[in-house]
Amino acid sequence: MNLFRSIRWRFQLWYGLLLVLVLCGFGVTAYHLQSAQRVRQLDAELQRRLVVVSGALKGGGPRIPPPQRPGPPPRRFFRLSAEEAALFGEQGNRSYYYMVWLRNGPPLTRSTNAPADLLPPHPEEPSPRQRGPFREVFMNPEPMDCILVGCSTEAEEAELSVLKWRLIAAGATVLLLGLLGGWWLGAHALRPLGQIGAAARKIAEGNLAQRIPGEAAGGELKELVGVLNSTFARLEEAFAQQTRFTSDAAHELRTPVTVLLTEAQSVLNRERSPEEYRQCIETCQRAAQRMRRLIESLLQLARLDAHEADIAQVRFNFGAVCAECVELLQPLARERNVTLAAHLPAIECVGDPERLSQVVVNLVTNAIQHNRAGDEVQVTLMRENGSVVLLVADNGRGIPSDKLPHIFERFYRGDASRSRRTESGGLGLAIARAIVEAHHGEIGATSQIDQGTAMAVRLPAEGVLSVHQVHTVH
Amino acid sequence: MRLLLVEDEPDLLRGLARTLREEGYAVDTAEDGETGFYKATNAEYDGIVLDAMLPEMDGWELLRRLRVTHRTPVLMLTARDSTNDRVRGLDLGADDYLVKPFDLPELLARVRALIRRGHQQPRPTLQIGEVEIDSKARIIRRAGTAVALTAREYALVEFLAMHRGEIITRTALYEHLLDENDDSLSNLLDVHVSNIRKKLGHDFIVTRRGHGYCIE
Repeated sequence: MNLFRSIRWRFQLWYGLLLVLVLCGFGVTAYHLQSAQRVRQLDAELQRRLVVVSGALKGGGPRIPPPQRPGPPPRRFFRLSAEEAALFGEQGNRSYYYMVWLRNGPPLTRSTNAPADLLPPHPEEPSPRQRGPFREVFMNPEPMDCILVGCSTEAEEAELSVLKWRLIAAGATVLLLGLLGGWWLGAHALRPLGQIGAAARKIAEGNLAQRIPGEAAGGELKELVGVLNSTFARLEEAFAQQTRFTSDAAHELRTPVTVLLTEAQSVLNRERSPEEYRQCIETCQRAAQRMRRLIESLLQLARLDAHEADIAQVRFNFGAVCAECVELLQPLARERNVTLAAHLPAIECVGDPERLSQVVVNLVTNAIQHNRAGDEVQVTLMRENGSVVLLVADNGRGIPSDKLPHIFERFYRGDASRSRRTESGGLGLAIARAIVEAHHGEIGATSQIDQGTAMAVRLPAEGVLSVHQVHTVH
Repeated sequence: MRLLLVEDEPDLLRGLARTLREEGYAVDTAEDGETGFYKATNAEYDGIVLDAMLPEMDGWELLRRLRVTHRTPVLMLTARDSTNDRVRGLDLGADDYLVKPFDLPELLARVRALIRRGHQQPRPTLQIGEVEIDSKARIIRRAGTAVALTAREYALVEFLAMHRGEIITRTALYEHLLDENDDSLSNLLDVHVSNIRKKLGHDFIVTRRGHGYCIE
């Protein structure tokens, strides 16, 4: 929750900062553009009046008096028509003034509202100029003369100040709205995270069927939700499998315990003949043996699951090992009236001979036990592209295609309790698969009803190490 | 009382059948669902003890098919004890449900109750005149004193008492008191009846010539 909140706050902080920067940039630019515009307008006004004033300065000769013409220069005078004079003085909220100096002398004329401390500008000074709260333009019709028109910019400054405050107010409003929107957006964008978190919490509390609602998110989050949901589904499946396995194991143990209890209680009910006691003890022994085999199988699977089993990496003759197993199972085959044939060339393989021989025994036993009298089981070993392939094929009843994918599952029974009396109580094929997988091999089965079943084991001929090397090369 | 026991684990089947026989029941056995179904539909049983996991046809399927035509009381035995499994069994028409592993005395008590219910006889003891039949202890008292009866004699009295007032044919008695491998009763039925009359009074069992026997 803390992380979630902090993400939201951080998002809000950065968003706010960015917004302030943008608004400031925008406000400052707008203010400057506005003020420059006003100055340009003012300058144009002043320029217009300057032309009027320069036109009002009349008389005098050419600009440069010819030296051959003696005498004082012609007198110059200044006259503004009433219309022209109306351009000066108070104009709306502005007050325009002018001043004219001749020959660096005292002012020839001035408007009444011209500031008293006004001096002719320095010849180098650029026009227009800002002098305190005044904006002024000037020109020199003759080098020594100067005409100046100016006006106070207090009104402009007041207006710009109003503009400034308006901009600040507008900026603040936009910032506030933006922050609110950002807060809402943040909440909206982070809501799926909240939902994901809530779902994950429920799963952590043990409700494995919980999923993140699909409509929680779009875009990138949708992908994440999909990945999480499929992870949760796999987790649930694994958990369910584990629960099923435990319950199956308990179930498998119940039958021999029932036999033990029934037999003991029944026999203790009354006096029995020694022969009856003997039979009872034999029955109890069979039940106990069955429990022992089941417990051993369960332990073996648990070790293989936990990768605790040490899988030896020995180079050995797999063909010879298979032949030994087949020899061992001949009596069982004869008992079931099943022909057991083998084609086992001497093929070398790296792995754990003891465990691989168990794979052979489990597969062949399974084939013998699930067949009818008179059927045949073929055990074949061959080499194929760097792999060793073991085939156990029969021409028996076959396995229905809907059951075929499950036969390597623990305690899976193709038909009710047919395999109840097998050695490992429904775990033989599961153990075979676990061992083959510990060798980085593959196990599979194909079957056709009334045609037979073929189980294939494919092992890397050079053992686990070669697989690792291959993996690292890739 | 004749029971059918369907169980695929041979050791358990043998032990249970022995115990039930020692309790005076005539017991038929079946090791797979199909045989069980065949027997259940082709003979008159007072109760069926049925394992849920069976080869060929499982116990659930057997029960479902049996219920189409038969009302024989069924006690299901199963190694699954989830509520789902129990509900499923009872919904399919099982009369009782017992989870493995169980204690023999409990199984026997449930079988007794099953049979009583099947004969609409909820009380474990029956009083007929001065004769009292205690089906739990399998003892018959006459005027408060226990009477020594053979197992077969007791079974005969118990069956007739459960159907008090009904005329039970000789065939029905063979059906319910003999298991499939036994035909010893046929010529001995009259001998048993006569022995019972000596012990419990001449009028205790009435013979209806040409029809059968009756306890009134």
